[in-house]
Amino acid sequence: MPFGQLFVEGLAIGACYGLFATAVVIIYKTSEVVNFAQGEMAMFSTFVAFHILNFYGYPFWMAFLITMLFSIAMGVLIEFLFLRPAKHPTILGMIVITLGAEMFLMGLASWKWGAEQQFFALPINPSVTYEPIKGMIINNWSIAVLSVSSLIMLILFVFFKYTRLGTAMRATQQNKNAAKIMGIRTERVFSFAWGFSSLIGAIAGMFFASRATLDPAFMMEPFLRAFAAAVLGGLMSIPGVIIGGGLMGLIENYFGYIWPEWKPIVAFIVIVLVLCIKPSGLFAKHYVKKV
Amino acid sequence: MDMKREYYEDVQLFKSGVVLFWSAALLLGLFTFPLYAPNYYIYLLNVIMVHVILAVGLNILVGSTGQISLGHAGFFAIGAYGTAMLMSTFHIPFVAAIIIAAFVAAFFGFILGLPALRLEGPYLAIASLGFGLTIMHIIGAMKIFGGRMGLKTPVLDLGIPQLGLSLPVTNDLQKYYLILIIAVIMVVGAVNILKTRVGRSFVAIRDSDIAAEVIGVNLTIYKTLAFAVSAFYAGIAGGLFGFILGFFDPFTFNMILSIMFLVMVVVGGLGTVSGSIMGATLITYLQYDLFKNIAEVPYFGKFMLYISDKWFTTVGLENFSSMAIGLIMIGIIIFEPLGMFGIWIRFKKYWMTWPF
Amino acid sequence: MDKKKLFVAMVVLAATVAWSGVSLAANPPGFDDNEIRIGQWGPQTGPAAPWGSVARGSKLLFDIVNEEGGINGRKIKYFIRDDMYNPAQTSAVVKELVERQGVFAFVGGVGSATGMAVKDYLAQNKIVWVGPSAADDNFIKPLNPYLFAVYPLYKDEASILAKYIVENLKSKKIAILYQNDAYGKDGLDGAKDRLATYRMQFVAEISVEPTEKDLGSQILRLKNSGADTVLMYVGPTTAAIALKTSANVGFKPQWVSSDTLSDYPLMFKITGGLWEGVITGAFGDIPTSTTNKYVVKYREAAKRLAPQERWGTFYMAGLLFADPIVDALKKAGRNLSTESLLKALNSVKGHQTLGPPVTWSEKQHQGTDSVMIQKCGPNGSYIELQGWTKNDLATWNK
Repeated sequence: MPFGQLFVEGLAIGACYGLFATAVVIIYKTSEVVNFAQGEMAMFSTFVAFHILNFYGYPFWMAFLITMLFSIAMGVLIEFLFLRPAKHPTILGMIVITLGAEMFLMGLASWKWGAEQQFFALPINPSVTYEPIKGMIINNWSIAVLSVSSLIMLILFVFFKYTRLGTAMRATQQNKNAAKIMGIRTERVFSFAWGFSSLIGAIAGMFFASRATLDPAFMMEPFLRAFAAAVLGGLMSIPGVIIGGGLMGLIENYFGYIWPEWKPIVAFIVIVLVLCIKPSGLFAKHYVKKV
Repeated sequence: MDMKREYYEDVQLFKSGVVLFWSAALLLGLFTFPLYAPNYYIYLLNVIMVHVILAVGLNILVGSTGQISLGHAGFFAIGAYGTAMLMSTFHIPFVAAIIIAAFVAAFFGFILGLPALRLEGPYLAIASLGFGLTIMHIIGAMKIFGGRMGLKTPVLDLGIPQLGLSLPVTNDLQKYYLILIIAVIMVVGAVNILKTRVGRSFVAIRDSDIAAEVIGVNLTIYKTLAFAVSAFYAGIAGGLFGFILGFFDPFTFNMILSIMFLVMVVVGGLGTVSGSIMGATLITYLQYDLFKNIAEVPYFGKFMLYISDKWFTTVGLENFSSMAIGLIMIGIIIFEPLGMFGIWIRFKKYWMTWPF
Repeated sequence: MDKKKLFVAMVVLAATVAWSGVSLAANPPGFDDNEIRIGQWGPQTGPAAPWGSVARGSKLLFDIVNEEGGINGRKIKYFIRDDMYNPAQTSAVVKELVERQGVFAFVGGVGSATGMAVKDYLAQNKIVWVGPSAADDNFIKPLNPYLFAVYPLYKDEASILAKYIVENLKSKKIAILYQNDAYGKDGLDGAKDRLATYRMQFVAEISVEPTEKDLGSQILRLKNSGADTVLMYVGPTTAAIALKTSANVGFKPQWVSSDTLSDYPLMFKITGGLWEGVITGAFGDIPTSTTNKYVVKYREAAKRLAPQERWGTFYMAGLLFADPIVDALKKAGRNLSTESLLKALNSVKGHQTLGPPVTWSEKQHQGTDSVMIQKCGPNGSYIELQGWTKNDLATWNK
């Protein structure tokens, strides 16, 4: 069993899950909504980047910047158009709205770009490999995903801990009405959260697309895994989520090596078992409800 | 208007003669529906009624008890596989087989209910999602269930063929009446459950589980019971669904199906039986019929083809249906958080108090 | 409580009225003096939508037939229905076509489970179904008088490919990566049977879920097995991920794959060029062929009649699967009926256009077991390695 190689592979894909899971967590942290449209938002942004690259022929950095702006705008817009008008929504109602947004985006993308798989490449050559330790081959894609997700993680950690907006986001999650009384414009906080989340999702989407293929359904499976990783990490703490993602990738790869047939569900089984012991995930404080 | 003055008023099945009249009229309409409806709607109606049974059961869990489940396709699968296997392998008559299969599903519901004692919200969602995926995967891995190749259902026989009492149900129309009768029984059953001590315990748990425990509701029993009851409904629905299809494989019971079940319940209206019926009907209809073959619609189809040619792709035009369903779902929740039941209530109030 | 009794009484009354009064109306006929109605289901939306081009390919064939004046004075009216690869929806759309539109025959139809869901219904209603776009034993055994298969069985193809690997590639260590469904399992079985005749075994048998996006551990298993050739029975996305991941971990075997991945331009594009050198089976002739007159004719017609479509393998497969029915309808003559069409189809012998020769008889409705073996050249071009080859180990004709 190539322990070292599996570790590299598991960690790389795990970092990708973790990165995408932070997008889920940012929205959950502010509004307690699990955004089921997250995967399709990332998919749509990646398609926009693909479109700019292939039909307008812009260089990658330019396409990347435009896509980032687009994804922020899309996140803000979806929140503004679909979630904000809902009056007194229940949590489940909000979930159904995000599911509706998911179907809408998926339909729109299939209509615009067709269902056939497309090729999407980052400006890194994934076939360039290094072998720092014997038996541990690491390639450019893994290095890129590990460094980008660590960087984003760091930024987010500092952001939530030390900036005013970050504090406002946490306050909004803890008690929306109290936050309002303290002078926080919670609507604006939601807009920021959705914009941020959409942006991080788009970056993760590009990583997934360059590893697999780009088609309208390509983010469904990664979204589920990212959501599970977020739950494993506790849905609240950013470092917890990235550790959850890493664990997810490692568990899947080690178990998947021994029993390939059970690879798709082993992570879910482990998560259910973990949740039975720690009901709020690994890294979130478990609040005891008061009556 | 909805003020109750005494206990019996609360527990009776029909609030008034008016409700009774319209319920009976609806049923009469459904029973005679094939007389004036085209044939091909019968199949769609069968699927709708199966989804109604499931949605009513899921609503007991989601709407009345306040738990969430993204794994109901798993129970649905247990019902379908269980019924078909019991009939073809063990030669058990249909009625017994479907009930046994539903109890098996209920047992698995009880098992899923155990982690639910500690989990809530998204944590429970992921746990139930994992459950649904696991069921699908285990069925796919086992040869006796036909594995990934799928399973063909035996002939649906209401009698006991071993004793010479054969009463085969073959075409969609006969299946329609069978499913309709079972659906009526299940719906009336759900209405009744919610009016008993059990139902009120469920609602108490939803409103506040700690307060419920304080007033003497045993959380362990009632939470797992809620899962078991709704899994029972899913099992019955699954057993019937298998016969509607005639052939199914594990992928038929995928996660998207679980999500759509949840959508049916929420769009219909949480915690109401009539809401689930409306939600299941609407969502199933939208998925199967709305904006299909849009290019063949007169005028509008031409217009859409023109737009597709200009800005989109003609090959992807069929996806317009999925976009429309998404927007309808969003619209209903935005304008009426109580779902279709809320729209119905508003409509009724407006009607009853008109012109004031 | 008397309300309840009244209610029950009404239900019983309604039930009796309904039981006695209703019966199924007859389906509308599938053709009239001016047109013959033919339908096809296929995923146009949802995760399986890339296969949707099969149904649209058949449309091109019927457009060409209509342009040439139709069949014995009748035009073909063709319906495509989207089933989202979901058997429940397949039943709905097929019933709609049969009971509302009145359809004479079906062609193509992507998917094993979707086809199985409507197979018996079509036979009961005496509707001919030609060229299912899936190879499934259950379609041909037991013999279904209304169902005619064109697609070579995956088992046969895997057997031919395994023979090619052992005899022509001289490979000693072969591994298989297969999709965890009917398609992948059939490929596994067929290849295993062939290897058994050489007293060989796979050095690794690795399954993947069709939807899986991370194949790191599976590829490492293949790498560690020391395989020099890997046979693939997977979908296009999975194959692309497998090749990319292998390149990332420095694993470079000879890839051999089933005919579902014989769309080289697409595979070359989505793997970023890694597909070059991959050997696949093929159920149809080379889409860029200049020697096959049918391929040339249809390709030119596609440029004119369906400029928005890509002339790929699956689009062409739509024509290939539907092709025999046009011929049979012409033979059945102006005096058309289901019986005359069945008679014409049962006497099809060595009919060859875009693919292998197809032969049907009263007792045998699997048209062929021949596949071609092709190799992907530079820029997704096609190189023919081996012409139409029959499987000498085939079991369906025994």
